[in-house]
Amino acid sequence: MLGFVIQRFLQAVMVMAVMSVIVFFGVYAIGNPIDIVIPPDATQEIRAEAIRRLGLDRPLYEQYFIFITNLLQGDMGRSFVYNVPVLELIGGRLPATLELVLISVISATVLGVTLGIYAGYRPDSWVSKTIMAVSVLGFSVPSFWVGLILILFFAVNLGWLPAGGRGETVLIWGTAWSFPTLNGLSHIALPAINLALFKLAMMIRLARAGTREIMLTDTIKFARAAGLSEATILRRHLLKLISIPIITVFGLELGSTLAFAVVTETIFSWPGVGKLIIDSIAVLDRPVMVAYLILVAFLFVTINFVIDLVFALIDPRVRHGASA
Amino acid sequence: MMNRTFFAPLAFTLGLTAAVAASAQTLTMGVRGGPESLDPHFSALGSHAEAAKHIFDTLVWSGTDLQIEPGLATSWKPIDEDTWEFKLREGVKFHDGSDFDAEDVKFSIERIPVVTGPTTTAIYVRRVASVDIIDPYTLHINTDGQAATLPNDFIRLFIVSSDAAADYSTPETASQGFNSGAATIGTGPYKFVSWVPNGDLVLERNDDYWRGMGAWETVIRKEIPNDSSRLAALKAGQVDIINYVSSVDYLALERDASIDAVTGDSVYIMNLQLDQREETPMVRAIDGSDLDENPFRNILVRQAIDQAIDRETMVDIVLEGLGRPANQMMPPGFFGSNDSIPMSEYNPDRARELLTEAGYPEGFEVDLYCTADRLPGDAAICQGLGQMLTQVGIKTNVNAISRTVYFPAQARLDYSMFMNGWGTLTGEASYTLGGLAHSNDPEVKLGAFNRIQYANPEVDMLLQAGAKMMDPVERRATYEEAMEKVMADKAYISIVQLQTVWAAQAGMLEFEPRFDEDTLAFFITPAS
Repeated sequence: MLGFVIQRFLQAVMVMAVMSVIVFFGVYAIGNPIDIVIPPDATQEIRAEAIRRLGLDRPLYEQYFIFITNLLQGDMGRSFVYNVPVLELIGGRLPATLELVLISVISATVLGVTLGIYAGYRPDSWVSKTIMAVSVLGFSVPSFWVGLILILFFAVNLGWLPAGGRGETVLIWGTAWSFPTLNGLSHIALPAINLALFKLAMMIRLARAGTREIMLTDTIKFARAAGLSEATILRRHLLKLISIPIITVFGLELGSTLAFAVVTETIFSWPGVGKLIIDSIAVLDRPVMVAYLILVAFLFVTINFVIDLVFALIDPRVRHGASA
Repeated sequence: MMNRTFFAPLAFTLGLTAAVAASAQTLTMGVRGGPESLDPHFSALGSHAEAAKHIFDTLVWSGTDLQIEPGLATSWKPIDEDTWEFKLREGVKFHDGSDFDAEDVKFSIERIPVVTGPTTTAIYVRRVASVDIIDPYTLHINTDGQAATLPNDFIRLFIVSSDAAADYSTPETASQGFNSGAATIGTGPYKFVSWVPNGDLVLERNDDYWRGMGAWETVIRKEIPNDSSRLAALKAGQVDIINYVSSVDYLALERDASIDAVTGDSVYIMNLQLDQREETPMVRAIDGSDLDENPFRNILVRQAIDQAIDRETMVDIVLEGLGRPANQMMPPGFFGSNDSIPMSEYNPDRARELLTEAGYPEGFEVDLYCTADRLPGDAAICQGLGQMLTQVGIKTNVNAISRTVYFPAQARLDYSMFMNGWGTLTGEASYTLGGLAHSNDPEVKLGAFNRIQYANPEVDMLLQAGAKMMDPVERRATYEEAMEKVMADKAYISIVQLQTVWAAQAGMLEFEPRFDEDTLAFFITPAS
């Protein structure tokens, strides 16, 4: 087990190192960020001074070396654009994204798996057919369009929910969260639905496919022969057996949504990290881009690691395979 | 916000008086961009300055048409070749009750070069050599040589409190002090309450404001970058006014009785720029072979391009009417705009003849680059240009790209023919001609944005002379002459002046559009 952890840890460090090099050199190849943000009446001297202040006049390898040295001391640098430490900047936005993503991914999973099991358990009923038809929509309609339609329908025409923004927040452990207030929840609703649609469709399909396969296996036959009720069979046996792919996808989706909820955050003016990274790319705010992508790499490695551990807990086959 | 959503239809049934009474308390503005920090000296970005103007005052004020007016300074005059005297407004108080005086101005000027970010505010004080306090309400500002446009430079010189900001004036501490509100003490019409980066800036009225009391007790400035979302927020009643309505939405709004749209002229003019170097990278013969010389160095080719552009169509079709044909790099009426410059005539036949005369009967091929995400309509104008030029024989490959890629490449002089907008934010010509039309010469600090290596010795001479003329009449004539010469050379070809659209709940607000496109709560009043 320890070997496994060390191996994963080294893997994470490698991924993050490669990521930092790619981003660092990639951004450099696009051009000088100063030329995007400099005001039009700056003189040559002022431009040179601005470049020098950001350290962009040094050779690239030296800039990278300085960055790595600072990183090893726990300093990820300061944003060119906002002039605050990058970690503080990302940390300030993370709660907004976190609550939005957790709410949408978890509700998509709970609802999607329930509907999917039903659709797999009674594949021929009209309800199942409706569920499957709707799930096709979830896959095929682009999320920015759905977002705008949601706004148009629920905010503009009906006026039930706000069109964007984060609403009231309360401070918990020094960070602002929207979900504990009714007003905050009303602001979360539309972006969460927007984010959840695709995942909901995927969860339905995964759960249905798994259910149909498992229902035909001997496990279910023996369970029925043993006189277990259908509800117990579904809960105790089926759910466990179909959960491996679902957990894998849950983890990956959680990671990718956390990292790249950009479209939804932009349409709903949700001040999260997705919007931060897109803004940073637009002005080549390199410290933010590098730090953010390193954190994302770290996030994915962590999630994969946790998923592996959860597999072992849930599925006896994995557990015994690992210990053998 | 929930309250407003519920209240809007209710107020409707109760009648107009109730609606005005309710909205007289709070103004919620949905704006495209926000400040990058609440330190007014950090960035020269337009949206940054716009937000700062709510909390802080500038030394010199720029009015609706960008004319300079007294701000925290009541009067100014040059007292010798390199000294300006500024008289300050007496009796002005900061939000914390302390008095405003010369010390705060000196502190602010000296603070700028220390704390500025990459969108450098150093431009506002670039001509300042030193500041002498004569008495609490008189300052002498010594400049490096004659600085005729110093008052224009000061229209975005925000004055912070020398006491409140004393501890927050290093690059490391500045943003922290201002973002938390500790140093966010100004003399402006509104006081800081709270700010979420990229979210809401909440302000409350400064009852002791020297211009008088604002109409709104509370102002909320919401950042909503997506154009459709901003409009949706307005329609849903979440906000009272929005800026930067897109031209497509503008057409739809004209049929919508619940929303008022207000159109204002913008300072931004789209200029086509033609590389003047001997060798230029992105031009070739129709068959793909190299040309002997850069065709853009030939005045006949440049005239042909000018005559190939149908500016009326650009405005009416491409911009949906939201613009005006342009014949020079500044809007009419600005200090240094020249009324005698004729509007270029659209004449594709003449353009073909000119190309033949210039020795290109077959035309040639060029890659045109433009920004696609910076100003309204930039990509569409680019495509229009491509078609118009191709029609007269200049095969034009249109590349409308992100400003993130465009500006660094433009600065590396990668392009032969390119177009982007330029806004004369100070309202006078030294800003525009000094940056674009003078040959790029760091010695005299001019021509920093001349990315086509345009050089006309006569223009250089006029611009250098103009920068030193203290007499406004003489200076104006000099810049007008320079403008005429630059436009006659047609290395810069102005195409259209853009217009900006604001939208508000119908019949609720009174608001006069500003040339610099700022949306300022103090100058927005409830409809009477």
